Amino acid sequence: MAPAADGAGAVGVTAVGVTAVGVADVLRALRAAPGAPEGGWRLETTGAPSLERMALEMEPPRLEAALPIEGEALSYRVLDAEPLAGFHAFLDGIQSTRVLQYLPGGVPLIFGTVAAVVRERRDRELHTWNGEPDLSTRVYVPTALTPAEHLRTFDAAGIPVHDTLDGADASDGQHPQLLLTLARTAVQRERERLETSLAERWCATRDQSVYVDGGISGAGLAARSPHAVGVVKSHRTLYASGDGVGVITRLRAGQRTTAFEIRSARRTAVASWYLRLRDGGDPMFALVRIEVARDTFTAERADEVSRWVLAERTPLALPDQRWHTMAYGIADCERYLRAIAP
Amino acid sequence: MTTVLGRVVATERRPNTPHEFHFWTALDSPVGIGTIVRVEGATPVNGALPVAFGVVTEGFGYTDLDTPLHDVLGHDGQPGSAHQSPTRRTEIRLYTAAVLRHVPEEPLQPVGMGTVHLADDADVAAALRMDGYAFGENKTAIPVGLYRAGATSSPVHLDADFLLGPEAAHLNISGVSGLATKTSAVEWLLASIFAHFPEKKGRVAAVCFNVKGPDLCFLDQPATRLDDSDRALYETLGVPAEPFQNVHYYAPYTARGYALNTLRSNEALAHNVHPLTWGLREVLQFAEVLLNKDDIDAKADALIDFIKERVVDQPFSDSVLEHDHTVQSFGELEGWFRDLLHGMEAKNQESWRTHHVATIRKVRNRLTNISTRCRGLVTDDGTVSDLPFGAFEDRAVYVVDVANLEEDAQDLIFARIVSQLRERLESRTLGVDHVVVFVDELNKYAPSDGPDTYVRAMLLDIAERGRYLGLVLFAAQQFRSQVHRRVVGNCGTALFGRMDPDELATPGYATLSPATRTKLSTLEKGQLMVRHPHFTQPVFVRFPRPAVLSGREGVEKFPQALEQTLESAVTRALRVLDPSVTLDWVKESIALAEEDEVIRARNKTQMAKPEDVKSYFRSQLKRRVAPKSTESRARVAPLKSSPPDDPYSF
Repeated sequence: MAPAADGAGAVGVTAVGVTAVGVADVLRALRAAPGAPEGGWRLETTGAPSLERMALEMEPPRLEAALPIEGEALSYRVLDAEPLAGFHAFLDGIQSTRVLQYLPGGVPLIFGTVAAVVRERRDRELHTWNGEPDLSTRVYVPTALTPAEHLRTFDAAGIPVHDTLDGADASDGQHPQLLLTLARTAVQRERERLETSLAERWCATRDQSVYVDGGISGAGLAARSPHAVGVVKSHRTLYASGDGVGVITRLRAGQRTTAFEIRSARRTAVASWYLRLRDGGDPMFALVRIEVARDTFTAERADEVSRWVLAERTPLALPDQRWHTMAYGIADCERYLRAIAP
Repeated sequence: MTTVLGRVVATERRPNTPHEFHFWTALDSPVGIGTIVRVEGATPVNGALPVAFGVVTEGFGYTDLDTPLHDVLGHDGQPGSAHQSPTRRTEIRLYTAAVLRHVPEEPLQPVGMGTVHLADDADVAAALRMDGYAFGENKTAIPVGLYRAGATSSPVHLDADFLLGPEAAHLNISGVSGLATKTSAVEWLLASIFAHFPEKKGRVAAVCFNVKGPDLCFLDQPATRLDDSDRALYETLGVPAEPFQNVHYYAPYTARGYALNTLRSNEALAHNVHPLTWGLREVLQFAEVLLNKDDIDAKADALIDFIKERVVDQPFSDSVLEHDHTVQSFGELEGWFRDLLHGMEAKNQESWRTHHVATIRKVRNRLTNISTRCRGLVTDDGTVSDLPFGAFEDRAVYVVDVANLEEDAQDLIFARIVSQLRERLESRTLGVDHVVVFVDELNKYAPSDGPDTYVRAMLLDIAERGRYLGLVLFAAQQFRSQVHRRVVGNCGTALFGRMDPDELATPGYATLSPATRTKLSTLEKGQLMVRHPHFTQPVFVRFPRPAVLSGREGVEKFPQALEQTLESAVTRALRVLDPSVTLDWVKESIALAEEDEVIRARNKTQMAKPEDVKSYFRSQLKRRVAPKSTESRARVAPLKSSPPDDPYSF
């Protein structure tokens, strides 16, 4: 269970034993409060899509050199052995945001929901670890730009508020799109926080491997655990240079690259390699990058973990569009969270 | 508090209504089509948490796949590799249930979200509204079977007031042949009625028409194939696992008149088999059963009425007739016609008392033909052997075996017996207050199409008005859709065994869900779907094998008597009345008698049941002088012959 964020719980909805604030709770609280905007409080339905659907500026695709730790340069290896089921659980999180209202000055009032879960596999069936997911619902606003009576209303109604400006001064105003970007980043960080928390708890209490959707280098203690395996599906940053790019793009199904180390200032160093799950025409089709704790790396472990990931190719995660890189267990996590999130 | 079995779900596409709801369960839950469940609502209404009872009518199972093709792709087209997947695909069991009852009944709302539980005994009673009649001093419950689901095993009762009247009545049974549905269910239900029908509601008996084979020929013989599970069912439902104690069989004679026309002809079972024979008086009342509209026009009808009112059973004289007549039998009626037509010819009359000679000849032909068409049942001499109308016994079964008879004779028997039952019940002189009339092959007697017949009209009358009299129709057929709608429509209770899929495709079954229809087409032996006025939805029950010998086993255990001679037939008939009667005695007694005379004497003896059977029987035969041997005469000396050369000799 996620920490009850900032006093949440006084108002909420019930979903599989999880109590959290819903959009309706927020709107109800606002309608009962003074200082309503002209026309009353209402759910913004025009021109305010979910932030996840907004075409936000993203970093351009890039290559980044990485330090080989298996051989002198990036090359490929053929996995001779058959795929092997080795994961005992799957960890993933979701996030969703809705613009509730634009306050005067184009300040967005955003409701964000994030959730994370570990789905444990027992007898080939997936069950929620510890019985419930971690869930967090908050209102994301730049507090410096939000009228004080609104903040008091949220406080009185027990609705947790997250300051997207993180305490920074904004007395001169801010560009509305920047405020949206800040909110989106805040929601994303909240999701990462929940996922990290879950991964750390799993690794602290279980001695079995968990398949983590995405990298683990930012997963705190889990990044050093032999039980966490991160599987990255998107490759805007390709850890290769020169001939290494060709090695990656020419990988065939069941082949992996040699491993390399990913290190950054704010994250934990991890060992990583690319693995092709299925053959296809697109160079990025069915390509995943696997991360394990740097200290646990050996070539044999890389082979074994690769076999584990290959084993998760079935059942297919269809109809998800990312089915070629997504494990069914991760698709199950997402489906579960979307079913219970308010 | 019982274990939670499932949860109610509703979506905009598939909402819950006051009469239907949906719920999901674990994959291994003991829920199936026909399972009764209890829903405990989560939101109070008028201060009380609502409870709803439902019976599962449809089930769905599916996975998160959008298309089967995805599974093919996922396993590279190799079905055998599916077990290698480390994770099983998410799968759901979703059920639709029809609401049996809401508690409280008002306000009637859609079934709300809540937990779903397997119904226990009390739930089943409440769901089927049996709590109103199955308990307490005034209970009127008739067990029909056991409802089973998971660990629940609950008796299901019918309400006698709605089965035998007066609130509703009649029972209809449908099912394919040969799967122990129709006959077995009726035998079981009659046993249950006899065991549970409250005495204060009156006396009850059953009249069963055995229309095919030996089906009902051994109701008084114990079953040989009752197993422990059957006995347990009998015990649970409170019905003795034993054959009927009081059964009487009736059958007409064969056309030759020697033996009764029944498969229950083994001598060991002859003690309660009685002849069924009628004379002119009995038959003339139902002449229209045997005479179709082509036979009877207004003129002929008028003559028949005249004969019924003015000729039969009374002295009749007329100037045209050569002598007076008292017509009491078909033979005497034929004599009357002959005399009449002879007189008209002699006087060159074309009509007599407004009846044209052609009409007279036609009526003569049709009426006298009846005794030929129904030979064995209708006697020329007026001998009557009938059911004991007026002395019906409580909890007795009267089986009328018409299996080997021509259709005309079957119709005549049915029409007359039912009419008698009706008249006696109306006048409260039958001996019992309720009579169950069991008719198999109802589609033959009350078809949905075809010409109006006397029998169909009679069945319609019973179905529509019989419940007020205590005349209850238990009818069975293979194809319910082929039975007249008003007959089946008036049956308050309906039982369905395994059904033919083609029959289930007819409009009459459109109200059943596809899953229920599928279950009906695959029901095991001993399972029934029950509709009853108290049950808002049909329920499935299991009933035990009948505790009586089946027809098939009966004919093996009690083989049919061989084709009899006149002597042996008479011996057998009289031996029931007097065991000292022997074949030799009979041979000696009837040596000089005509066959018709012997049969008449036997019939009269059977009717009279005299103390001295032998004397009575002999007294019915004409006295004859014993033949004397010609050899004992004194020889007379022959005349002297003429000399060979005598020219005057002959």
